[in-house]
Amino acid sequence: MEELTDIQQITYQLFGYNLVFNVETITMTLIVMGLLLVFSLLATRKINIVPHYVQIVGELLVNLFYGLTKDTLNEEKAKTYFPLIFSVFLFVVFSNWLGIIPKLGEPTKDLNTPLGLAILGAAIAHYSGIRTKGIGGYLKEYFEPFFFMAPLNVIGELAKVVSISFRLYGNIMGGAIIILVVSNLVYSLVLPPVLVMFFGLFVGTIQAFVFTMLTLVYISLQVK
Amino acid sequence: MDISGADFIRGLALLGAGLAMGLGAIGPGVGEGFAAGKACEAIGRKPEEAGLLTRTMLVGQAVSESTGIYSLVIALLLLFVV
Repeated sequence: MEELTDIQQITYQLFGYNLVFNVETITMTLIVMGLLLVFSLLATRKINIVPHYVQIVGELLVNLFYGLTKDTLNEEKAKTYFPLIFSVFLFVVFSNWLGIIPKLGEPTKDLNTPLGLAILGAAIAHYSGIRTKGIGGYLKEYFEPFFFMAPLNVIGELAKVVSISFRLYGNIMGGAIIILVVSNLVYSLVLPPVLVMFFGLFVGTIQAFVFTMLTLVYISLQVK
Repeated sequence: MDISGADFIRGLALLGAGLAMGLGAIGPGVGEGFAAGKACEAIGRKPEEAGLLTRTMLVGQAVSESTGIYSLVIALLLLFVV
């Protein structure tokens, strides 16, 4: 059970502040980026009217998410926001699936990764809200329906970031802890592969989908 | 046998972690069961829409699960940080 608490860190001193880097998370994030590059290269190589099998998977995913984006936003806005939504989904789903390979851990097991993604989504949502409604219209939203509701609305916006990131982190971290505890109990005999399938593939996919959909909904709340 | 302050805090943190997880699991359990039951009713009424209903149910359950996940995070903080 010591794997949970020993985290490899590198600390740098910069202008009197401590910069802490989590080695495992950075390595796994780089691995995920490499996998995504390989997948995209394979899917777009030798594009043909009769697709090869990686191209089929890519086209299926792109079609599914383009349809979802078009339903939530409208046709022209979908063209702007679809690349962001789709890359968030691919990154999160590859991160969650990385845990099924032994000796590798999910980057989303560290709270910093989901929090960074959530802050990115929130920043883009608010920026596009300011761009579509103007700064006056954007600020006016905070005083709806009454003037004194403004603090509540601000807290609501902050709670969105916290809830979306903690949901992903808690699911992945909880799954990892349960796998670790059960593996210790049964000496890694029969149950852990089943648990890895459930938590890694099933829960990972669903949570990646939920994360993407919520980012999309937050953007659509701002631009409409 | 005397108990020092650090031991007392550790014991109460463990108790709090158990309470947080146990009480926090009630809400998502009831909510997810309710969602699954309603989805079963809807599938019984319209079996051809089963795929869409299952997808919507899973996403709704994953969202309603989040309160349980928050209590899990609190329990982990109490176990490993306090």
